[in-house]
Amino acid sequence: MSEFEKLRIVIGYEFLKHIRRKRLYIILALTLIAELAVLILVPVLGDGFPDNVMVMAALLSVGPSLAGIGAIFFAGDAIAGEFESKTGFILFTNPVKRSTLVIGKYLACYAAVALLVILGYVIVTISLLAIYGSVPIETLSSFGLCLLYAGAVLSVTFFFSAVMKGSMSATVITLVFIMVISPIVDSVLLMTGQPHWFLMSTNGDTIATVYGGYEAFMGGFGGMGDMPFEMETPAIGLSVLSMSLYLAVGFVASLFISNRRQLA
Amino acid sequence: MSEAIVIENLTKYYNKFLALKGLSLKVPAKENVGLLGPNGAGKSTTLKILCGLLRASSGAAYIDGINVAENPSQALSRIGAIVETPEFYSFLTPEETLGYLGRLRGMGGDKLKARIKEVIKQVRLEDWSKVKIEKFSRGMKQRLGLAQTLLHDPPVLILDEPGLGLDPRGVVEFRDIIEKAGKEKTIFFASHQLTEVSQICNQVAIIDHGKLLAYDSITALEKKYKSLEGAYLELTEAPLE
Repeated sequence: MSEFEKLRIVIGYEFLKHIRRKRLYIILALTLIAELAVLILVPVLGDGFPDNVMVMAALLSVGPSLAGIGAIFFAGDAIAGEFESKTGFILFTNPVKRSTLVIGKYLACYAAVALLVILGYVIVTISLLAIYGSVPIETLSSFGLCLLYAGAVLSVTFFFSAVMKGSMSATVITLVFIMVISPIVDSVLLMTGQPHWFLMSTNGDTIATVYGGYEAFMGGFGGMGDMPFEMETPAIGLSVLSMSLYLAVGFVASLFISNRRQLA
Repeated sequence: MSEAIVIENLTKYYNKFLALKGLSLKVPAKENVGLLGPNGAGKSTTLKILCGLLRASSGAAYIDGINVAENPSQALSRIGAIVETPEFYSFLTPEETLGYLGRLRGMGGDKLKARIKEVIKQVRLEDWSKVKIEKFSRGMKQRLGLAQTLLHDPPVLILDEPGLGLDPRGVVEFRDIIEKAGKEKTIFFASHQLTEVSQICNQVAIIDHGKLLAYDSITALEKKYKSLEGAYLELTEAPLE
């Protein structure tokens, strides 16, 4: 039996895990709530929907972005959980390579997250069609960036899951890294005019800024006002490069560490 | 007689703690050998190295002549193992779990389905075969653990305290299953239960502080030390060099 066949089996059962776990439905509910909040609050708090479809499209991209972040909750226990809950004592005594198991887990997690992202963009598309009668072509780029972002988030989470002893600590550290540390460093670099394309928060912003940058985005709400510094919109190409690096390096590192990790 | 398990000069450090100190022993094919020793003696470490869960600091472990560290997939395909209290994915049922593990071992189709039914019946989990494992007690997980070791009919069983968490009836049923399996398979069986070991095994290896203290037939040890318990107490009590 080839490792590829084993990989297919691992993906199947791991995907079944995501389908049966509540967290998939919680992230799905949060995605829907985020989209609903935008669709309800924007016209209620402003003067109706923005005139520019690009602004509304950028605002609606918050839902799929949230689904991308959901990758953390799918993957936090992917590797650490096998050691923490000791399920590895059964799984790892089977004639299957550790790398096959990790790749299978990664692909199953990615499939679950991609499903949510796709659903998010279906809502974005339907909403824009209903409100404006058109969908900007940039939605495709936003969708691609969101899928890449989810892959990068997943790889970073897998890395921490391979390093940490517990699932909870792996999840929390990844959340802190992506949602706290990265935005803080991002703000500092932005204010001091330094390059910040390599930060995950900047990369995540491109999912919305692909619709026209910060200025177009803020323009929909009366402009950027007197900002004490220039808000430079992240370059898409550099963000793609950055996310690809997070994806590849995080994934390879998690594979390497998982292969070496012992189950004492 | 060929050897099913060969442990050669196995040494294992956990940081600076020496868990195994040049342990060597051979388990002949189709023999049932008990591995005895006090807590921290190195029993679980030995079994984990045999199952590819731990890497030895030095030395080697072989299953049917295959080096576990160098060719884990091939070596693991020949064993069925329970290491510590088995834990399973709580979102799966026993049928699904065994389906997953069986398929990973190259089984499939109606043959796998029939075999799953057979082993589930053997460990008396028929009424629970479609219930998610999240509802299982420790003893039920132990039964499922035994089912997964027998599923692919491996020639070698490596069992670490398999009776842990079972009720008295469960212990007896468990022993019967292992005894029956032991007639055709090699069993390497770590336990603290001397009665259990003497009922299942014909030979025992007694280790302490990672060193082999005795490896002989139960009859020979009983002759020398009056009882297996006597042998265990006397050998493990003796100060190590």
